[in-house]
Amino acid sequence: MMPAGEERTAPAPCADDTLPISLSKVGKSFPGPNGARLEVLRDIDLAVKEHSIVGLLGASGAGKSTLLNIIAGIVKPDRGRVCICGARSDELNDWCAASYMFQDDRLLPWRTAVRNVEFALEASATPKAERVRRAREAFRLVGLDTFEDAFPYQLSGGMRSRVALARSLVTEPKILLMDEPFSRLDAQTRSHLHGELLRIHSLMAMTVVFVTHDVEEAVLLADEVVVMSPRPGTIREIVPIAPSRPRDPIEPEVAAYIRRLRALI
Amino acid sequence: MAEMIEQGALALPQRRGIRFGVLLERLSLVAGLVTIWWLLSFSAPPYVLPGPQRVWSALSIIAAHGDLWRNLGITFWRVALGFVLATIIGLPFGIVLGANRRLGEFFEPVLPVLNTVSSAIWAIFAIIWFGISNATTIFVVFMTAMPLIITNVWQGTRAVNADFIELARVLRMPDWKIMAKIYLPTILPYFFSGARLAFGFGWRVSLVAETIGSSSGVGYRLRQAADLVRTDQVFAWTLTMVVLMAALEMGVLSPLERHLFRWKKEAEA
Repeated sequence: MMPAGEERTAPAPCADDTLPISLSKVGKSFPGPNGARLEVLRDIDLAVKEHSIVGLLGASGAGKSTLLNIIAGIVKPDRGRVCICGARSDELNDWCAASYMFQDDRLLPWRTAVRNVEFALEASATPKAERVRRAREAFRLVGLDTFEDAFPYQLSGGMRSRVALARSLVTEPKILLMDEPFSRLDAQTRSHLHGELLRIHSLMAMTVVFVTHDVEEAVLLADEVVVMSPRPGTIREIVPIAPSRPRDPIEPEVAAYIRRLRALI
Repeated sequence: MAEMIEQGALALPQRRGIRFGVLLERLSLVAGLVTIWWLLSFSAPPYVLPGPQRVWSALSIIAAHGDLWRNLGITFWRVALGFVLATIIGLPFGIVLGANRRLGEFFEPVLPVLNTVSSAIWAIFAIIWFGISNATTIFVVFMTAMPLIITNVWQGTRAVNADFIELARVLRMPDWKIMAKIYLPTILPYFFSGARLAFGFGWRVSLVAETIGSSSGVGYRLRQAADLVRTDQVFAWTLTMVVLMAALEMGVLSPLERHLFRWKKEAEA
């Protein structure tokens, strides 16, 4: 990933862009207290290569989640250009679907686990039989083969996260966006799910962008870590992580990255 | 998959109590009450407090003539119709009032007022407007059930989780699907408890309406029996209604609710 060098003020067409995600000069502010504007993001240039895993790292208030929401098309930027697979992010593009995984698992309590996975396919007119088949497939992909008919309250935190992951994957996205996805789990379960995520990533050849405030998580998962600094949120540095995955935080090379990033944020 | 068996992985729903024991308890309760009734009936003349045998024979006579089922059927039909009308009006109204804040605020004072108007008052109005007819009872049931259903559905729309709406929007779900897949399942438990309450009230007020504004139905027969000082018949009708209501509650509504809302974690003591 490299900061896009060109100077551009007006949003330009994305057609020449082949990257899955590319942002240039993106800025965003929200209405703050007593009428003032609160600048959350300034001059964000970001280019995410195909099939890579990118971690957005920073202290709270660095605008990481806002940036992810802009990529997802949930939040509109005030300035700059956001391209997803060569199209503007607010245009619906079917050939380059993105999935969004929330911080919490957000499972509908009145649906069984597998029906929750199916939910992601219900926005489109996918026939019921196909929905069920694909939901079961995604269910197995995340390492759950039983408990299909269990209700969310009957599942542990780790299993609920797996169901939420399956729901994000069932649409077969090219891009997976994750907002501190496993932050509410205990360390051991979380590490299991990191392994699962990496396995699925190599299996499905997706591009993954995740937000985290955990340096170790960023170093263990990402090809590149985007370090953000707060008020207004800007990119301080983009750090490529060289060692091959899976990585162990005890390895000296990995540990060195962790130390370096700790110093940066 | 080490973590599959982590932290109490799957809490299977507990098999509901020791059913047989509960049944036995219920039966002994009924037997005890009937015994007390029987003993008390010796201390009063039968036109004040008829004993169980007397009431039973009155019941047999009513049942044998087909009178029992005909009048029960008529009353049930009136209650059901009033209730269905109340649902048809109340459900969409509750949703609209809950979804639209301005409308909700505007109509907010109306519901407590409607809820405080006694059913007897509705019955009197009904007689003025509809005379002695089916419409009188149906109207009273409707006016009692409708505010209850609106209130509960309205409450349900307030319980809709904004996070789930956000999830559906991220999935680019159209509005009508969000209505069907997020709003309705959230509202359903509230609607159900409101409907149950409304149905129960509907039964009770239907009798009031029938005693003064009808020439058929259980309520009419009750008043007739009272006018003729046939206390045994009054008891027979009352008993039938009580048994019917209990059967409906325990045999249909309660199991239906357990099935519909089996996804809810049972509150543990």
